[in-house]
Amino acid sequence: MPLIKIDDREIEVEKGITVLQAATAEGIEIPYYCYHPALSIVGSCRMCLVEIEGMPKLQVSCNTSIGELPPERKKDGKYDMIVRTQTEIVKRERENVLEFLLLNHPLDCPVCDQAGECFLQDYSYKYGRAHSRFLEEKRVRKNEYLGSNVIINHNRCIMCTRCVRFTREISGTNELFVQARGDNSKISIFEDKSLDNLLAGNVIDICPVGALLSTDYIHKNRFWNLEEKKSICTDCSVGCNILVYSQNNRIFRINARENHSVNGYFICDIGRYGFHRYEDAEKVTSPLIRSDGGFKPISWEGALKEIYEQFSRSKDGEKHQIVGIASPFHTNESLFMFGRLMDNIFKDKSIIGKLPFIEDYEIHFDSGFRISKDRSPNRQGLLDFCLNLEDEILQKVKTGKVRLCYALDDGVDRKLDEEWESFFKSQRFLVVQTYAMTPLAKLAHLILPGPSPMEREGTMTNDQGRIQWLKPSVSLTNKTRPDWEIIMEFMNTVGKRELKYSSVNEVNLEMGERFPSYRGMTFFKIGYQGLPKKNIATSRPSEGGQAGNTVT
Amino acid sequence: MDLIGFIIICIKVVVVFAATMLAVMGMIYAERRISAFIQHRLGPNRVGPKGLFQPLADGLKFLMKEDIIPAAVNKPLYLLAPAMLLIPALMTFAVIPFGSSLTLFGRQISLQVADINIGVLYILALTSVGVYGIVLAGWSSNSKYPLLGGLRSSAQLISYELAMGLAIVAIVLMTGSLRLNDIVTSQQGHLFSWYVFKQPVAFLIFLIAVYAETNRLPFDLAEAEQELVGGYHTEYSSMKFAMFFMAEYANMITAAALTVTLFFGGWDIPFVDEAAMGNWGALLSGIAFILKTAFFLFLYIWVRWTFPRFRYDQLMNLGWKVMLPLALLNIFITGGILTIIS
Amino acid sequence: MATVVKSYEPTFRDKLYIPALFQGLMLTFKHMFKKKVTIQYPDEKHVPPEGYRGLHRLNKYPDGRIRCVACEMCAAACPAHCIHIVPEPSPWEEGKERYPVRFDIDLLRCIFCGFCEMACPEKAIELTEIYDFADYSREGLWIDKAGLLEIYELTKTQNYYTVPNDE
Repeated sequence: MPLIKIDDREIEVEKGITVLQAATAEGIEIPYYCYHPALSIVGSCRMCLVEIEGMPKLQVSCNTSIGELPPERKKDGKYDMIVRTQTEIVKRERENVLEFLLLNHPLDCPVCDQAGECFLQDYSYKYGRAHSRFLEEKRVRKNEYLGSNVIINHNRCIMCTRCVRFTREISGTNELFVQARGDNSKISIFEDKSLDNLLAGNVIDICPVGALLSTDYIHKNRFWNLEEKKSICTDCSVGCNILVYSQNNRIFRINARENHSVNGYFICDIGRYGFHRYEDAEKVTSPLIRSDGGFKPISWEGALKEIYEQFSRSKDGEKHQIVGIASPFHTNESLFMFGRLMDNIFKDKSIIGKLPFIEDYEIHFDSGFRISKDRSPNRQGLLDFCLNLEDEILQKVKTGKVRLCYALDDGVDRKLDEEWESFFKSQRFLVVQTYAMTPLAKLAHLILPGPSPMEREGTMTNDQGRIQWLKPSVSLTNKTRPDWEIIMEFMNTVGKRELKYSSVNEVNLEMGERFPSYRGMTFFKIGYQGLPKKNIATSRPSEGGQAGNTVT
Repeated sequence: MDLIGFIIICIKVVVVFAATMLAVMGMIYAERRISAFIQHRLGPNRVGPKGLFQPLADGLKFLMKEDIIPAAVNKPLYLLAPAMLLIPALMTFAVIPFGSSLTLFGRQISLQVADINIGVLYILALTSVGVYGIVLAGWSSNSKYPLLGGLRSSAQLISYELAMGLAIVAIVLMTGSLRLNDIVTSQQGHLFSWYVFKQPVAFLIFLIAVYAETNRLPFDLAEAEQELVGGYHTEYSSMKFAMFFMAEYANMITAAALTVTLFFGGWDIPFVDEAAMGNWGALLSGIAFILKTAFFLFLYIWVRWTFPRFRYDQLMNLGWKVMLPLALLNIFITGGILTIIS
Repeated sequence: MATVVKSYEPTFRDKLYIPALFQGLMLTFKHMFKKKVTIQYPDEKHVPPEGYRGLHRLNKYPDGRIRCVACEMCAAACPAHCIHIVPEPSPWEEGKERYPVRFDIDLLRCIFCGFCEMACPEKAIELTEIYDFADYSREGLWIDKAGLLEIYELTKTQNYYTVPNDE
C-alpha cells in the first residue's frame, strides 16, 4: 500500500484513490466544488489545487490518483507522494481561483436560499480575498425554469457541471448540458425536454452554490432558522435516509441523507415533496366521537370509557367478533403492540387483517437507484409482527356475527373501494386510529388521534430487511398521542393490563425480548444508518409466556 | 354642666376634628409639592387647581382598592391596630388651646376642647398609647418586616419619651402648672417671654424627641422603606393603610401644635393683649396659632427632604447618651436658678 | 514612599452639629425656588434628539416599493428574537426578487438596541424617534408590515414630535 505524506501527516492509502479522497478521509480539508463522490471527475473548478513534490505545477487533487513508486524512487526514502495543502503558493492560487469564480457572481447572499450552507460563502471567508478587483460590468442573466420544480439563477452559477453530470450518470436522462463557450457558457436544457425526472430535485442538493433552486423552497426561509432532523422517508418500502428541515413545527424541505446501504446520496422527488400531503390533509388532533351524523370532540378519558363499554361488556349475551385492521404505514413498535392486543387479549375472538397494499409501478435507474412498487414503508414489519394476518378478511368475516372493529389507518394515501366501504359500514362499532380525516376515518364511530408520519417515532423495516430509525421531525400537536401509547391504553382498558411504557424505547426493548429477529435492535444500536434484521424465524410468543419476562 | 355647655363642647370637638382632618389632607398635599420643589420637580398639579384635590383623589383611590387581609394574621389585633394609632393621635389635640377665649351671647367660650389641669400628663400618656398601634400592627401582621418595624418603634419611643418628658419638666418647673392654658398665659407679654428663649436647650431636646415620637425622618426607623419594605404597615392595604398614613400626619399636627404651645407662646401674639380685644383678639390669636403650627409643619417636611435617616445604633446613642443627660442637666440648672431667684 | 493620610479632626463647631444642620436646611430651601425640570408630558412632548432609538419603521423606495428583501439579517441579529419575517418571491417583474409578505415585530420583546438597523443590508429597517406607543393589550404591541410602513410615512420628512410652524 502506498505511503503518502500530506502536510505533516503520514497516511497509508489504497492504491488508485485520489489525493482529495485520501485527504478528506484523513480529515484534512481541501476545498472543492466540482468533485462529488457519486459523480465522475472533471476537475473543472480548480479549487482543490495542491502542491505535489516533483510536479512542476500545482495539481488538482481530485483528479490525481496515488500510485506506488519503485523503492529507489521513493521520496525521502519512504513516501510515494508528498502533498502540501497549506503552502503560500497554494493559498495564493486558491485566492486567485476564487476571484475568477466570483467574477460574475452577484453579491446577493441576503436573498439567496443557499446562504448559510453555501461553499462559496465558506471558502470565500476562509480562503478568499475581501475585495473584488473586477471593475467591469458583471454579466447579468435572467432566471430560468429548467423543469417544473427547478429554477436556475445563471448569475450565481460557477460552472462546476455537477448537475450536468448528475443527469448523465445518475438519472440517465441527459436533460442538462453546457451551452456555448467561455464567458457565455451556461447550464441549459433542450427546448423539448425539461428537467422533469423523478430525481430532478437532487440537482438542487448537489449544487454547491445557490444557482439551482427549488420552486418548492425558493424564498421560503433562511437556512439558519431551520432545525435539521435525521429521519427516513416513509413514501415507499425502500426507506431512503433523509434530512428533514423544519421551523416551529412546520416542515420546509427534505434533503437526501447519505446511506450507502439504502439510497446512496440521493432521494426521489416523491419523497422530497411528499410532506405537503400531510399539510393539506384535514388533521385530527383530538379524540372524536360520532354524534348526530357528525363528529364531536371528547376527552381521552371519555374515548377510553367508550372503548371499554363497547369492547368489554357483552350485551345481551352476544358473542363479539373483533376485527383488527393493521397497517403497513405504522412503526414496528405500534404493530407489535397491535399484534399483542389482538392475539393476547382478544385471543380467538379476534381476527386480524389489513387493507390491500398500496402499489404502484416500480422504477429503476441505471445507477442503481430504486423506487419500490410497494408504496407502504413497513410491509415487512407488518408481516413480522402480525403473525396471524388474514389475507382474505372480507370473505372470512362475511359470515361473522356482531362485529367490533379497531383499525389503524394507512393515512392520506388510502382510498376505499365499495366493497371495503360496505365492510366498514357494517361494523357495529368502528374505532379508527388516524391523523387525518381519511375516507376510512369518516366511517368511524370513534376516532383516536395518532401522530402523522412526520410525528411518528419508532423503527421501520424496509423491503431489504433493514431496520431503520424513524425519528420525529415535528412534535405532537394538541391531544394526539403516540400510536403505541394509544394501543397500550386500549390494552389497559379492555384487557385490564397495567402496562406503563413511558417511551417508545421501552416498547422497542419489549419487542426485542419477544421477537428474536429484532433482539437488540435498540435505537442506540441501529443509529442513523440502520441495521439488517437478524434472520431468525419467529412464532408469536404468548403473553407472559416468555421465560424471565412475565410483565404485561 | 348645662345643655348649652354640652352642645358647645360637641361643636368644638367636631370643629377640631374636621380641622385636623383637613390639615392632614393639606399636609399630604404640601408634603408632595414641597418635596417635588426641593427636587426641581412640579409635584401633583393636575387634580383641581394646582393639584389641590390630589389628597381627595388619593383618598378615593385608597377607598376603592382591594382590602387584603393576609391569611396568617391575628385578625382582631390586625383590624384594631390602625384605629389604635389614629384615635390617640386625634385625641391628643383635645387639650391644646388654639386661641384665647371667645365671648358669644354672654357666654365665655375658651378655644380649647377640654381645659384639664393635667394637660401635659394627658399628652404624654396618649402618645405612649399611640405606640401600641404600631407595635400591634407589626406583631399581628405575622410577618418579619412589620415585626422588626414595630419593635424598633417601641424601643425608639421609650428612649425618646424620657428625653421629651424631661424637657417638658423644665417648662413645668417654670410655670408651676400642668395645665396647658397656664403655660400659654405664662408666655404672654413680650417676645422673650416665650420659653424657646428661656429654655433653648429644652426646646432643642423637645424638637428632636418629637420628630422621633412621630416616626418622621430622620427617625423613621419603624418604616424605613429601604430596609424594612414598609415597616409596620407592610401587610396593610386599602383604607387601613390610609389610616396609618392619616395617623402619621395627625400626629405631626398635634406635635407641631404642642411645640407651639410649649415653646412659642401658643396662640399668643407678642406685645398684643388679646383678651382686651374681645372676639377679634380670639380670632387673631387663632390665626397666630395656625400660622405658628404651619411653620412647624413645614419644618417637618423640610427636614424630611434634607436629612438622611439615622442608623439604629446612632439613634440609640443620641437618645441615651446625649439627649437624656442633657435634659437632666437642664432640669438641674433650671431648678437651681429658680431656687436662687425665689 | 508611603503617604500619610491625615484624617479630618472635627472642630468644636463641627461637633455641635447644629450649624451643619442649618447649612443643610438652607441648601434644600434654596433649591425649592430653582427652575423646574419637569416636562408636563401629555401637554408638552419631549422631542428626542437625533439618533434616538424608538419605534421601528420599514423604509420605501420613492416609487412606493418596500426596500426590505426579507433576508432576515435583522431577525438573526436581534438579541431579543422579536422580529418575525415570512419571505416570499416578490410579485413584481423587475428588481428585487424577494420581499416580506409578513414582517412582524413584537414590541414587548424588543429592547430597542438598534442591531436590526445595523444589520440591514438594504437600509430598510430603521428606528424612529417615536416613544409613546403604549397600548392596553399585547396584541396592540405587535406591529405588522402595514403598521411599520405607516410609521415610515409619519416620520419620513420630519421629526414626529415637532409640529410644523404653519399650524
